[in-house]
Amino acid sequence: MSKKEPKIISFLCNWCSYGAADLAGVSRMEYPANIRVIRIPCTGRMSIKFVLAALRQGADAVWVSG
Amino acid sequence: MKNLLEYMGIDPGRLHFSWISSAESTKFVEVAKKVTAETVALESKEKKYMKTKPKVA
Amino acid sequence: MNIEIITLAEVQDIQGEAGNFSVDVLRHPRYIDEDKCIACGICAEKCPKKIIDTYNAGLSKRKSAYVEYPQAVPLKYAIDPDTCIYLLKGKCRACEKKCPVDAVNFDQKPETSTLNVGAVILAPGFEPFSPVKFENYQYAQLPNVITSLEFERILSASGPTQGHVTRPSDHKEPKKIAWFQCVGSRDMNRCDNPHCSSVCCMYAIKEAVIAKEHVGDHLECSIFFMDMRTHGKEFERFYENAKTKSGVKFVRSRVHTVNPVPGSDDLELRYVTEDGTIQTEIFDMVVLSVGMQTPPALVELANKLDISLTPGNFAETSTFSPVATSRAGIFVSGAFQGPKDIPQAVVDSSAASAAAGEMLADVRNTCTKKQEIVPEINVQGDRPKIGVIICQCGTNIAGVVDVPKVVEYASTLPYVELATDKLFACSQDAQETMVELIKEKGLNRIVMAACTPKTHEPLFQDTLTAAGLNKYLFEMTNIRNQNSWVHKNNPELATEKAKDLVRMAIAKVAMQEPLEEVELPVNQTAMVVGGGIAGMAAAKSLAEQGYETHIVERDAVLGGQGRKLFMTAKGESIQEKLAEMIESVTSDNRIHLHLNTQLTNVDGFVGNFVSTLSSNGNATPLEHGVAVLATGASPYLPTEYAYGTDERIITSLELDKKLMDNDAALEKLNSALFIQCVGSREPERIYCSRICCTHSVENAIQLKEKNPEMNVYILYRDIRTYGEKELLYKKARQLGVIFIRFSIDNKPVVKTENGKLIVNVVDHILNMPLELNVDMISLATAIIPNTDEKLSNFFKVATNSDGFFIEKHAKLGPSEFATDGVYLCGLAHYPKPIDESIAQAKAAVARAITLLAKETVFSSGTVAQVDPMLCASCGVCVSICPYSAPKFTEDGRFAGKAEINPALCKGCGLCSASCRSGAIHLKGFDTDQILMQICEMDEAV
Repeated sequence: MSKKEPKIISFLCNWCSYGAADLAGVSRMEYPANIRVIRIPCTGRMSIKFVLAALRQGADAVWVSG
Repeated sequence: MKNLLEYMGIDPGRLHFSWISSAESTKFVEVAKKVTAETVALESKEKKYMKTKPKVA
Repeated sequence: MNIEIITLAEVQDIQGEAGNFSVDVLRHPRYIDEDKCIACGICAEKCPKKIIDTYNAGLSKRKSAYVEYPQAVPLKYAIDPDTCIYLLKGKCRACEKKCPVDAVNFDQKPETSTLNVGAVILAPGFEPFSPVKFENYQYAQLPNVITSLEFERILSASGPTQGHVTRPSDHKEPKKIAWFQCVGSRDMNRCDNPHCSSVCCMYAIKEAVIAKEHVGDHLECSIFFMDMRTHGKEFERFYENAKTKSGVKFVRSRVHTVNPVPGSDDLELRYVTEDGTIQTEIFDMVVLSVGMQTPPALVELANKLDISLTPGNFAETSTFSPVATSRAGIFVSGAFQGPKDIPQAVVDSSAASAAAGEMLADVRNTCTKKQEIVPEINVQGDRPKIGVIICQCGTNIAGVVDVPKVVEYASTLPYVELATDKLFACSQDAQETMVELIKEKGLNRIVMAACTPKTHEPLFQDTLTAAGLNKYLFEMTNIRNQNSWVHKNNPELATEKAKDLVRMAIAKVAMQEPLEEVELPVNQTAMVVGGGIAGMAAAKSLAEQGYETHIVERDAVLGGQGRKLFMTAKGESIQEKLAEMIESVTSDNRIHLHLNTQLTNVDGFVGNFVSTLSSNGNATPLEHGVAVLATGASPYLPTEYAYGTDERIITSLELDKKLMDNDAALEKLNSALFIQCVGSREPERIYCSRICCTHSVENAIQLKEKNPEMNVYILYRDIRTYGEKELLYKKARQLGVIFIRFSIDNKPVVKTENGKLIVNVVDHILNMPLELNVDMISLATAIIPNTDEKLSNFFKVATNSDGFFIEKHAKLGPSEFATDGVYLCGLAHYPKPIDESIAQAKAAVARAITLLAKETVFSSGTVAQVDPMLCASCGVCVSICPYSAPKFTEDGRFAGKAEINPALCKGCGLCSASCRSGAIHLKGFDTDQILMQICEMDEAV
């Protein structure tokens, strides 16, 4: 990898956005391949720790979606 | 949350929140594109501060 | 496992009797083997034949090899024999050649079979009315005149326009849309549908509001209607908001004609306004709100099956057995019982299953299949030995992602014992090899990189269980829906992403521990709160199905509001039926009555409640597994219309009392007047009480029948005789009842002058003030829920701003609460007539029995657990949990520390995220695991 693609870590609620992401696939929509999904049971599970850890580990952005 | 990031010297534009229902695949894609585009834009803006990647814990 | 879905099937005949029917079923060929099809879609892709997509209301195209819509169950493709080139012309078979699993089978033939069953539930639905024959609307000629169902598809994100509102003729965004109500409903002149279809007013408002959301506020939406019927729960509020906040225009008029505007695709409407002037207005698009009707083929089948139909061709049922057809053992639900919306149809379906359950209670569980249990291998403390399986999903994944590369990469990662790929990991043979591999290689953790865990995780977890592994030693990562399908033009990046996702999953699963699902017994006793019609119906159904049931009633007698009612809309005597009902409840030795009793405390949780019943100062505990809340409602006591100043001004229930007593004075009245919406549809009580229009119309008919010379007036805002109750409205008009409409800002005024009762109202047709001299006034008063905050707190169930209980889901869970093991029915849910109350009571029971019949409940494995050594007893988790799962331990070594009840925990993780001491672990999504996933996000250097 010569030019580093930015990596975005996304925390998706199992019941909402994760479902939307699945459906986007079923509908064969396209979007950039920079996102790495971590499935969480609910956005209530989100903790500031995760955001900070992700940024510290070199994520270029964090996206939390409920 | 965003204030904290700003305080720590991280652009708050690196943190995104959204609410998408499981039927809104179009919205998901829109937000995914937006998040990526904004991150790429930040990347080029901040290029000079090349991050030093910490070792994996 | 206990439901067999037979698709493409037609019932040809039903013979036999209740408890022993034989049903002849004709099954049409699918031409695709359901067991083999993996719904990859290659057949549809390769099929050369394009035809009109009927699911999208003809607005788009599909292939002859197809799946009707993406959420279809079972998700299996089919070949349409009416359009398939091979089946019509004998050449093609492209799908057969390309199918990766050889599922296409053109040798399938129609098959008949006979099913032996104890009870039958009919849920055949309705057909939307076809407006083709309404020549003045020119539906068939003008492309921009469409039906409401076509418009539904246009609004849908998965529809032909992806939710962009465009009109069919030129695909331009419309600026003005008109809706016409009652197309094919309430109409005996141009079609034979006298009934009201019940749902169209509400769906038209919904469509108008959503259209404005999609297009923007500048879109003008006008709804042309006769009476606005928003009698459902929360519907009136939606209607008001549509008017005031969304700016939807409501025009009380039936549009006379639609004409094309020469030189454009626009439409010119001619209609008469309320004041009698003729208007013409140009619109871009017209949506016809088509009604529901029973398809002719269904009428034929009903006749063959000996099932009586109503005048409107719906299955005939009685008020007190709302889901039983005229043939014993055959039940009905949904729109075949009468036009209705989704919540009502869901209620009916549950009610029909309860009715069938009552009949078949003796043979419960005699035909059910149970899964075999494989003993679990203990892997605790063992070094992780991870098996990674990458699914190719035919070409769905492998066509984009370089699967061999990912496999090779995965095998280099720590703890990975084995990495392999499968053509279709979900296929039967792949499952069997997985079991073999787990046993042979001694794998103790599995990572599956395939489609979405939302649909396939349970299947793979079952495979683990079959191999003797704890099903939580599993992690699934989504490289299809969220990778190969969405990055098909970027295979390189998709492969990198797949590697990352697999690595993250491996890191997480390595930290995963086997989880235990706590098995809890379910107490087989039920408690019903409220002894009105709904409560009694629920208790009776529970008892019929073999469960001990306790009715807690605060009054001294059973019957509730039912004791005050005279006659049903179908003409049955309520008191007669109520007496029968009370008799059957009191004589049933499985039903225990607690009259003059209040509930003073409730402890416990699903399957294991302990309630305290208090009567005359004596408190007794009652252990029960489920609770049905049927706490009912009360009539509003009016302060308006001079109520209380003259004994000739009475409420509808007081008139019922006079009718029950056969009061001779009623016949001698020269005139009687009804006023509707007394206390309903007012700013402080916005909801419609649903039953009062029918009630007044029915009482007006009673009076007219007693004395045809009597002048009977009904002053109303909108007449809401929904469904076939519309026929009563028609009858009342035929009998000469005079209907006068008033608006909320110009209400009638009641006064007494020299002993005379005088009502002043402005006539809506003449637009002239009228003075009516009447002998009696009946006020249709609102229905007010018996809100009891204590009860809400006991069971952690909420009420809406009107005081009615909030159900689990407005459409799909209308008879149960979000709290497990607690159910609701009757007026406490929303005002409703007796038939709907009884149906909901049965529905609540059906839902309760799905729990009772299991006898035990398993808590989920992914629940939160407190480490008492770290807990600081701060109480944040106790106050933050939406399900009240954490509590302070009362005694023992860790008294004062928090403890989480696994039966109540939903695994949302809120407590875990908010615990300041890091004492709460959410099993399966623990902090360490998520941190590991984060760490592995970027490739280690």
